[in-house]
Amino acid sequence: MTEFSKIPRNSGNKSGGYPVFSSGNFIINTLRMIYNFLSSVKLALGLLIVILVCCIAGVTIYRDKRAWELIFSTFWFNGILVLLVVNVAFCFFGRIWGRKVTLISFGMILFHLSFVAMLGGIIYNSLFYFHGLIRLTEGETLPNEHPQSYDVLNRGRLFDQSRLKGETTLIRMHTKYKVDGEDKMVAYEIAVGEGRARKQGIVYITQHLDYRGFRYYADREGYSLLITLHDRHRRELYGAHIPLQSFKQKDDKYLYATGTKDGPAPLAFPQDPQKPLFDLLVTYLPTPLKERAGDAVFQVWQHTMVPEEGTGPFAEGKAEIGGMVKAGNYHLSAKEVRYWVAMSVRYDPGQPIVLASLWVGLGGMIITFIGRMKRGSA
Amino acid sequence: MKTEHLLFWVAVGLYGLSACSYIFGLISKQDKLFSLGLYSALAGFIPHVLVIALRWMATGISPFITISESITFGMFSAVLIFLVFEFTNKKVRPLGVLVMPVAFVLMGWAGTLMKDAATQLAPALQSAWIWVHIIGAATGFGAVLTAAGIGLMYLLKEKNSGGIYGKLPDTQTLDNLAYRFVAGGFILYGLMIVSGAFWSNQVKGSYWAWDPVEVWSLISWLTYGIYLHLRITFGWRGKKLAWYSLIAMIAMIISYWGIPFTMETFHQGFRIEH
Ligand code: HEM
Repeated sequence: MTEFSKIPRNSGNKSGGYPVFSSGNFIINTLRMIYNFLSSVKLALGLLIVILVCCIAGVTIYRDKRAWELIFSTFWFNGILVLLVVNVAFCFFGRIWGRKVTLISFGMILFHLSFVAMLGGIIYNSLFYFHGLIRLTEGETLPNEHPQSYDVLNRGRLFDQSRLKGETTLIRMHTKYKVDGEDKMVAYEIAVGEGRARKQGIVYITQHLDYRGFRYYADREGYSLLITLHDRHRRELYGAHIPLQSFKQKDDKYLYATGTKDGPAPLAFPQDPQKPLFDLLVTYLPTPLKERAGDAVFQVWQHTMVPEEGTGPFAEGKAEIGGMVKAGNYHLSAKEVRYWVAMSVRYDPGQPIVLASLWVGLGGMIITFIGRMKRGSA
Repeated sequence: MKTEHLLFWVAVGLYGLSACSYIFGLISKQDKLFSLGLYSALAGFIPHVLVIALRWMATGISPFITISESITFGMFSAVLIFLVFEFTNKKVRPLGVLVMPVAFVLMGWAGTLMKDAATQLAPALQSAWIWVHIIGAATGFGAVLTAAGIGLMYLLKEKNSGGIYGKLPDTQTLDNLAYRFVAGGFILYGLMIVSGAFWSNQVKGSYWAWDPVEVWSLISWLTYGIYLHLRITFGWRGKKLAWYSLIAMIAMIISYWGIPFTMETFHQGFRIEH
């Protein structure tokens, strides 16, 4: 072992008469500047105010979707949130370091720590999450791993695709569903998984189904008609379950028809991959007397690639569910009413961290408060 | 007129009397009017509680959902906190001069918006979280309203002396008191946000979606978070914070009942599209 003689402390500014090289100072100075910037209380307050202003703008000047696009989903806004947390870490823990731990400071440490943990949870989640919107008609089964099974699909960069196993089935949708006398309106009876690990359960608004961390939530539902095509002798040639859209009318009633979310529209029938014969718009008029019954209105046009303005349908008609309407050389029928449901499927491994830190943070605030009350009354 | 409406307007009337007594008491520097104000507030509180109880009993549905119900419950907790504070700590007698006019005006407004009690609760609201959420919001509001009232006392005390002002605690005490109510309100708002996040997680699977109501509650929380930092890390005291708490209180009223209730959000229950 080599022995060094001790360098005396506080030896003054002189470095024993030798010049000091300043090559490292640039880096050190820059680091110091960054540290000073990040650990400034002024920055913290400034950021809090900026976030407050953005929030106010996001619910007044811009709203809902615009606010989401222009503010809440943007890189800069989320960057500010991250900067705030980094700032909390540097500033708060820099200041509180080495202080005596009292009830007050302990609460504050918990509170600010939970803030940092929350961000950790959010970032972790953003890397590993999976969100999909799956839409199924009663009786339908879709494979979980196929992207085509989902209307909307988002996932984190590091999401492990092999986690998606098995398939999802909508067994039946129940209306007027009650739990302990509470009206839940609708409930979806579903089965998820593969083989023996298949799990069956009921999903409604305040209850989800959990399958290996994938959670199924009720989102919305609608009608689906089984439309069949028959020849002139009424022999069945073809059939398809066609989901209908629900359009809210001025009088708050709903219109159920084929189309897109923007409005009723005809669709080619029979559907892909069959060769279409005509364009078909179906409207369903449910009866309040009986479930899954009522009338269907058919409007039939020549199949055109580009719909022409002003050309009326060549056939029109209304029939009960199960009845038939004539369309040229064919007959059409709405043979059966089913429901379709859309469920949001979520896998959020970071969520427990975030939710737990919310409680820790609240606990911290309460501890600080109690501490201050005690000191105040002492 | 139904009993419920009658009781409601009796409560509003008594709160109006209370508000006037406080205001004239302050102008004419008459101590006795403060007592009248306090007792008419107490008298108005009784029909106020009865209205809530009657509505609740009528249908068995917790009556805190529509805007007028929400204001009625918010004012319930504000007046309750005010009364408890006045009867246990008899030192800040003119406090009602801010609290009671606010209670009077908002209750009057709620009265004009009153609808029949709901016969069923929207499924999305059938969650235990709603309790924590509503109580956090209402008591949080009560706490920061009291803080703003104390802030007003501070400003008055600073400008005037003698008479009724001489009986007020010194400015330092008022300042500390206001701070405690803000800190308490901040925690209760925190509870409102946390329970709201859990509730949203139960129903939608996500705890935060920047939905307007969520953002509004974040605004109230940040507003008081900034107050606390101005005080603790920047050493603000007294006058500046008293003004801050008064302005923030207006922001709170707007952010609860002014705007979010006019928007179609998650909080109004779910649309069932079939
Ligand atoms: C960049 C972010 C933040 C920084 C740098 C920061 C820093 C600090 C510091 C230095 C203290 C006082 C410790 C002391 O010197 O005694 C403090 C206290 C506190 N902070 Fe923060 N903070 C940040 C974010 C937040 C946020 C977002 C909130 C909530 C809105 C918050 C709420 C509080 C509370 C409630 C206290 C304690 C107040 C009391 O003693 O009653 N902080 N913070």
